[in-house]
Amino acid sequence: MNRGLFVATSLSAIGLAGCASVKRTLTDGPFRDVLLSTEKLNRAVIGTHGLAREYAPSDIDHTFRVNSLDTPSDDAYTSMALDGFRRYRLAVDGRVERAQQLSLAELRAAGTRTQITRHDCVEGWSQIGEWAGVPLATVLAMARPTRDARFCVFHCLDSDQSGTRYYESLDLTQAAHPQTILALDLNGKPLDADHGAPVRLKIPTQLGYKSAKWVQRIELVAALKPIGGGNGGYWEDQGYEWYAGI
Amino acid sequence: MKIIYRHHVAARLAHWIWALAILVLVMSGLQIFNAAPYLDASDKSDPARRVLAFDAERTATGPAGYTVVFGRRVRTTHVLGYADDGFGAEGVRAFPAWLTLPGPQDLADGRRWHLLFAWVLFVSWVAYLLAAAAHGTLRDLVLRPRDVARAGPMLLYYLRVRREPPAHGTYNPLQKITYNVVVFVFFPLLMLTGLALSPGIDAAAPWLTPLLGGRQFARTWHFTLMVLLIGYFATHLALVVSTGFLNNMRSMVTGWYVLGRHDGVGP
Repeated sequence: MNRGLFVATSLSAIGLAGCASVKRTLTDGPFRDVLLSTEKLNRAVIGTHGLAREYAPSDIDHTFRVNSLDTPSDDAYTSMALDGFRRYRLAVDGRVERAQQLSLAELRAAGTRTQITRHDCVEGWSQIGEWAGVPLATVLAMARPTRDARFCVFHCLDSDQSGTRYYESLDLTQAAHPQTILALDLNGKPLDADHGAPVRLKIPTQLGYKSAKWVQRIELVAALKPIGGGNGGYWEDQGYEWYAGI
Repeated sequence: MKIIYRHHVAARLAHWIWALAILVLVMSGLQIFNAAPYLDASDKSDPARRVLAFDAERTATGPAGYTVVFGRRVRTTHVLGYADDGFGAEGVRAFPAWLTLPGPQDLADGRRWHLLFAWVLFVSWVAYLLAAAAHGTLRDLVLRPRDVARAGPMLLYYLRVRREPPAHGTYNPLQKITYNVVVFVFFPLLMLTGLALSPGIDAAAPWLTPLLGGRQFARTWHFTLMVLLIGYFATHLALVVSTGFLNNMRSMVTGWYVLGRHDGVGP
């Protein structure tokens, strides 16, 4: 082996061996704040503008992928499901003038919107489904957020292995978007248990993890810090961006 | 020996920033890819239009990794499909941990790296173009019809059929064509195909994603452009080494370059 090749091979070997710890230090060390800062820039530049594309019925995926924490299986959820969710009430509270407890019948009576949109998962895959439900703006108008309300927090019925509950949040601009709906139906049928029955959020202008399933309560808050891990959502608490438009 | 000032400071800075940004973008991009290790030529995910996939399965001799290109399955255990998991063992992974950033499976941090360095590439690309245009050095780079005419003779020179390279300026005709493709075609297309994957961009600029054939197709283009860019990088590296490594490196660090026999001097 000539000297140049030997030096090059040795350097590559040291580089590869050192790489794992270098990558770890760069990701979790002092540079982390810089890594996290891009999100603010993306949110400021991209924001929430325009409408997600709506598709034709022929584009619909009739087998819709299930990709979430485990479907709730506790007694409370199961008995509510067996009863056709007649006892379900969606709570809307927090910084509102008129807290609400809405039944499924009341939600449907508020006026629904049907949209065939593409669901874009953060993992990279996409599927198309037809969601029907009440625009979130309609529900918020019923509850009348107070002036200091800045975010809607969606408290959900599902939890992970350690018992941590799923939750998500949107700012009021995202909440007011006409395609942001509290979905009740998927592909013409009431949501089944795996797809978030009886009520899930559907926001096609953001990545899939924002569209929380099994929504039980919407809390209007002034700040996200005091809730959960403080980052505005279950996945956000594990390092994913709160702004999921990109 | 004739020494010339070959690379303006904007070009040298941009060169090294781009080299770093592309390294980070490729490694973090592979980390992101691993979360859905397949590419479809369609808008929504569609296994019937799958062009590339990685998977793994148990076999009698242990776990095996596979790469599936246009339906043709090739066993790639230890390298692709079933590879280094970043914890000293192997697992089901399209690309091995030593190639990805971060190493172990971590989509959230892979995205953080990727989106930060996408900004680094974009800002340095715009800054370079403005600085080079203001300084006048952009003229040395931008392709002209005569460069295309000289590409054939230059190729013959590289192939040692021709004894002398054709007359050319700072960059030879083949270099110019290559750099033009990278800077004016690959970079903007990489940025656009990346942006087309985002639901927020798709709503704000609804013309973009359909133009690329849909979201999954945009992901396929984005990956393909990365492969082409790596192909460029390999060629670039081979030529940097074979045409006077130290002279080339010095000129890309200090700007000063010793003209050699490969450099056809002329307008």
